[in-house]
Amino acid sequence: MREEETGTGLALRAVASGIVVLAGKALFNFLLFLAIAALAVPAFALLLEWRVGSPAALAAVVLLGGWGLSIVSTFLSALVARAGQRNVLFLVVSFPLLVPLLLPAIAATVAASQGSLAATPLRVLVAYDGAATCAAYLLADAAWED
Amino acid sequence: MSRGQVLRTCTRLLTNLHPPRFTGTMKLLKLLLLPYMAAVIAGAFLWVEPAEGFLGESSRIVFFHVPCAWTAALAFLVAAAYSAAYLLSRNLRFDQVAHAAVRLGLLFAALTLVTGSLFARIMWGSFWNWDPRESSYLLLLFLYGAYLFLRAAVDDPERRARIAAAYALFAMVLMPFLVFVAPRVTESLHPQTVINPQGKILMDTPTKTVFFAGLVGFTGIFLWLLQLETRLARAERR
Repeated sequence: MREEETGTGLALRAVASGIVVLAGKALFNFLLFLAIAALAVPAFALLLEWRVGSPAALAAVVLLGGWGLSIVSTFLSALVARAGQRNVLFLVVSFPLLVPLLLPAIAATVAASQGSLAATPLRVLVAYDGAATCAAYLLADAAWED
Repeated sequence: MSRGQVLRTCTRLLTNLHPPRFTGTMKLLKLLLLPYMAAVIAGAFLWVEPAEGFLGESSRIVFFHVPCAWTAALAFLVAAAYSAAYLLSRNLRFDQVAHAAVRLGLLFAALTLVTGSLFARIMWGSFWNWDPRESSYLLLLFLYGAYLFLRAAVDDPERRARIAAAYALFAMVLMPFLVFVAPRVTESLHPQTVINPQGKILMDTPTKTVFFAGLVGFTGIFLWLLQLETRLARAERR
C-alpha cells in the first residue's frame, strides 16, 4: 500500500515480478514483527510479572504466528493497494482471514505460559502458514499485475 | 502424467466451465423441483421421528440447517472454481458467475446462521451464545461479505475481476481453517456434525433418506438460482 501512496508502485512493477515483491515485503514484515516481539514479550513479562513456563513453545508460537500474520497481511495489502478506501478495506478483508490464525496462536500461548507444548494448535498454525504461503505464492502475480 | 499435462488438463477443464443450462430434461427437472421440495418438507415433518436427546421437535431443523450450510460451502467452492477459470482465461463471464455464486453463498450462509440461532434458542435458551461454531459461521459471512466490499471498491472491470478472483481463491484456501478447524480446536455446544471423528452418519434410515433428499433439493435450488443470476448479469451487461 505504501508503494501506491508514494507513487513508486509502477517502478517496482517494472523491475520485479509479483512473487519477488511479495516475498520481499512478507520477509520485511516478518522481521519487523520479530523485532517488535523481541521488545514486547520481555516488556510484557516484566511489567505484568508474567512467567513463561515454556519459552521454547512461546518462541514457536511467535515464529509461526508471525509468519502467518506477515504473509496473509502482505498478500491482502497487495490486493487492496489499488482500491478505493484501502485502509478500511484492509481491515475488512484481513479480520476474518486472521481469526483462524489468532485462535490457535492464543491457545498455544496459554499452554506455553503454563509450561506445556500444545501440539494441536501448533499443528494448526503450521498447516495455516503452509496453506497461506502456497496460496499467496500461486496468486502473487494475479494480485500484483496491473 | 507429467506436471505440464496435469496443468494443461486443469486449465482446459476450468476454462470449459459453464453455468448449468436448463434445456429439455433440465427444464423438466426444474419443474419437478417444487413437488420434490414439498415432499422433502412433508417427509421432514410427517415421516421422521424427532431425534433423541433434543428438546421437542428441534431436531427437525437438521433437514434445513445442514443443507443450507452444505449449499453455502458448495457456492463458495463454485466461486473459487470460476475465479480460477477467470484467472486462466480472463473471460469476464466467469467472473460474473463467481460473483453470483458468492452472493448466493452468502444467502445460504445467512440462512444457516438463522436456522442455527432458532435451534440455539430452543436448546440453549438464547439465539446467540458465542459458541465457536456460531462465531466461525458469522466470520464466514464477514469473509465473503468482504469479497463484495472489495469488488465495490474497484472501478475498472478487468482489475475488479482479477482482484476479486485472487481474493476468492485465497479465501477458499483459508476458509476450512475458519469453518472446520477452529471450532474443533475449542469446546463447542454444537451437536455432533455429519462429518464426525468416527466417520459415520449417525442417523436412522428415514432421517438419512430425508436428509440426503434435502441436500439434493437445496443443491438443485442453488443451481437454478445461479443460472438465473448469471442470466440476469449477462442481460444487465448488454
